[in-house]
Amino acid sequence: MAAALLWRCRCRCRALLSRPAGAVRARRGLAAGPEMHFGFQTVTEEERREKIYQVFENVAKKYDVMNDSMTLGIHRVWKDILVHKMNPCPGTLLLDVAGGTGDIAFRFINYVRFVRQRQLQRKLKHHQNLSWQEIFESYQKDEFNSLGDSQVVVCDINREMLKIGKQKAQHLGYTEGLSWVLGNAEELPFDDEKFDVYTIAFGIRNVTRIDLALQEAYRVLKPGGRFLCLEFSHVSNPLLSRLYDLYSFQVIPVLGEVIAGDWRSYQYLVESIRQFPPQEELKAMIEDAGFFKVDYENLNFGIVAIHSGFKL
Amino acid sequence: QHYPPLRALQASAALRRVSDEHKKEPLTSSSQQHFDSPPAGHQPEQKPQGPRPSYTGQGGQESEDYESEEQLQHRILTAALEFVPEHGWTAEAIAEGAKTLGLSVAAAGMFHSDGSELILHFVSECNSKLSELLQKEQKLVQLGEAEKKPIDEFLRDAVEARLRMLIPYIEKWPQALSILLLPRNIPSSLNLLTSMIDDIWHYAGDQSTDFNWYTRRAVLTGIYNTTELVMMQDSSPGFEDTWRFLENRVADAMTMSNTASQVQSTGEAVVQGLMGAAVTVSNAETSRAVR
Repeated sequence: MAAALLWRCRCRCRALLSRPAGAVRARRGLAAGPEMHFGFQTVTEEERREKIYQVFENVAKKYDVMNDSMTLGIHRVWKDILVHKMNPCPGTLLLDVAGGTGDIAFRFINYVRFVRQRQLQRKLKHHQNLSWQEIFESYQKDEFNSLGDSQVVVCDINREMLKIGKQKAQHLGYTEGLSWVLGNAEELPFDDEKFDVYTIAFGIRNVTRIDLALQEAYRVLKPGGRFLCLEFSHVSNPLLSRLYDLYSFQVIPVLGEVIAGDWRSYQYLVESIRQFPPQEELKAMIEDAGFFKVDYENLNFGIVAIHSGFKL
Repeated sequence: QHYPPLRALQASAALRRVSDEHKKEPLTSSSQQHFDSPPAGHQPEQKPQGPRPSYTGQGGQESEDYESEEQLQHRILTAALEFVPEHGWTAEAIAEGAKTLGLSVAAAGMFHSDGSELILHFVSECNSKLSELLQKEQKLVQLGEAEKKPIDEFLRDAVEARLRMLIPYIEKWPQALSILLLPRNIPSSLNLLTSMIDDIWHYAGDQSTDFNWYTRRAVLTGIYNTTELVMMQDSSPGFEDTWRFLENRVADAMTMSNTASQVQSTGEAVVQGLMGAAVTVSNAETSRAVR
């Protein structure tokens, strides 16, 4: 606990010191990139990308365990709510960016499978007078279509996170409808107008140029496609905000040290949440990228928010 | 708010260029039945879909062809109606409708997942169609080309015409009625119902300004609702039973109003009689007292 406080002070001092250094660099005209924030530090764009890559490389193995312990399991509910809000029907093509360990992808597949089953049941109910032969044949036909042609592409910039995701998929038995692609959210390796839904859950905070990511999202979505973003956001209630701050800065880095052996990464995580733009600002950025009907829904009083927009 | 002035909806541009047919929006007077009101200053005003759009091609000036989000939503819902007999009043039908317009199935996420907007849209469209029908009939009567119908026949025909619009969707209509009764939807559905009834009475020539106004609308609402319920479980050919039921109810309503006025006049007569008797008795008493 004391170590955390001490480290925090050192962080702040470092931040104060690095600012003039950065200004000197800029004045000398060295193209080291514009100033950005990495948690409460100030770094250049390139440095930020590297640092974030390292953070996730370090936490990849214990990512899911840490998620559960930090949020006391509530992150599962948040992700469930996101997929319910999406309400995908069979035949949807989903792009899950920064989807690393595959949480959203697996939930999407479960949901679509369930909807597809219901569809098939309803179809069979209509055909009450079929012979056994015909019923058997219809099962044969539709058996290969248990997902109804829906597909998920999981894209992540970090190889380690993708590796963990693939292992999880094998372990849990998800074989069809999934693909894993290495890619940068600011420069997606996909053609225009390919996907029905684009989701980014707890990932957009780590993107260095959010506007580029939003523009890429607009590019790869089909007309009528939906953009969904699940991210930590700002709590407006003052009492809750203080409790939340207390929990974030005192408990989480300690958990990080105890469980994952890496409290610096979790210090970064907590700080990056504070640096992220609040709900209205993110909404404005999404509208700037060209999306319509942009709206957000606060979960848990603003600890997490789901932003949604349509490419119309 | 962050809306640059003239943003074209990309999808609508592509669609207008390709498709030849126009889905004309029923911009009649009853468009105030619109349940779907956007927040103030939300988007540029609705443009009436007139002649083919022209493109200027220059970067700054936007072309004539763009529509508000609301118009696009209308088009999606109208397209979704043809999938209702198969999928019911659900988000799936809306998704199929969006697909026919060339949009992704995710566009169905713009609407609520239980299909309420689809049903309310359908009811609003039916009401507009009924209004147009009644207006046309009124014009014919004014031009002297048709006879003015007696009240009971007018009401009967109007309600029948409105209920006939449900026939293509009759199997899934009970589901729609139940969704319309959800607390969230009651204000809008009640609003649509009352304005429809008001419309019918208006074209029937009702100009009452007293309590009759309320009684008439209450009676007709009762007739409409009960006939609709009878129609749900009617299996006779051509819904004959329903129309006979409707005829009887309208006749009852007429008799009731006649009876009501009769009762009123009888009541008045009785009161007069009692007053007369009281005066006579009091006169008799005074004369006896004098003697």
